[in-house]
Amino acid sequence: MTVAERLLIARLKERDERAFNEIVRAHGDKVFSLVYRMIGNRAEAEDLAQEVFVTVFKTVDTFRGESKFSTWLLRIAANHCKNRIKYLSRRRTDGAGLDDLAEDKMSDVGRAPMQSHIDAPDVLLEAAELDRIMQAAIGELDEEHRLLIVLRDVEELSYEEIGEVTGLAEGTIKSRLHRARMTIKEYLARRTR
Amino acid sequence: MDHQKAAEQFSSYLDGELVGAPRTELEQHLAVCIQCRTELEELRRAMGGLGRMKSRDHAPPTFLPEIQRQIYLRSRGRFFGKRWKLFGRIPFEWVSLATIIAMLVYYIIHLHGAPTGVKPAP
Repeated sequence: MTVAERLLIARLKERDERAFNEIVRAHGDKVFSLVYRMIGNRAEAEDLAQEVFVTVFKTVDTFRGESKFSTWLLRIAANHCKNRIKYLSRRRTDGAGLDDLAEDKMSDVGRAPMQSHIDAPDVLLEAAELDRIMQAAIGELDEEHRLLIVLRDVEELSYEEIGEVTGLAEGTIKSRLHRARMTIKEYLARRTR
Repeated sequence: MDHQKAAEQFSSYLDGELVGAPRTELEQHLAVCIQCRTELEELRRAMGGLGRMKSRDHAPPTFLPEIQRQIYLRSRGRFFGKRWKLFGRIPFEWVSLATIIAMLVYYIIHLHGAPTGVKPAP
């Protein structure tokens, strides 16, 4: 952890609002991306990613600097995601109403995420289609495997960082990641056949 | 090497973590096994597709204001509340210091230099 980051966190522990704003600006996209890829629904992801930062503001005193701040933050995000996925799947199995089903159908799993620049229409369409398929493939996985795929192959974290986020040993991460990748590969192969 | 053993090593091979003899053994198998080559290529494409997802995800512009609003509501106005403009931007200590300096300057220029003695009556 750099000196600047340490000072920033010390200010955050004193509930300095400007320090908090800096933290959100620095890590907002990463947290949002993780949550969006885990949940697959933009509105739900916005809500949950906001909740992550509210939790950070409340519980920053528990951060002791043993891991990187960014991995501590992602651990909070991952826990929120797992809880939300469990809650959503419970809601579905507990006799979801027609409204819920309609809502699920309208979830933006297949919608292209917001872009920072405008591409040509054909490029946009292709990117949106690829995005839709990949998100559906991620959705095939349970929350543990989904988290590993998103952390490693989407967010490109190192195995060490993934270990800090998940608390899993490197060997376990690698074997589960392999299974998750093979599931995605098989899903994509089925789709293209 | 059989197909299953080869497939188990695909992930570490694509991560660049398979080195030495196991890597050579896998590459020798891939050279003669079209089924494993196809599977490896499919896995490489899947991982490539996942990697391209990252660059397109950005938090919405309302993200930070919405978090501030949430904290404001839950802390019952203790944090992220609206403040009086001047003191919301300038720390109170700076305003006090500036006032003291201005008063000192005024005293030195206008009061300190002026004659203090009482003129005798004519």
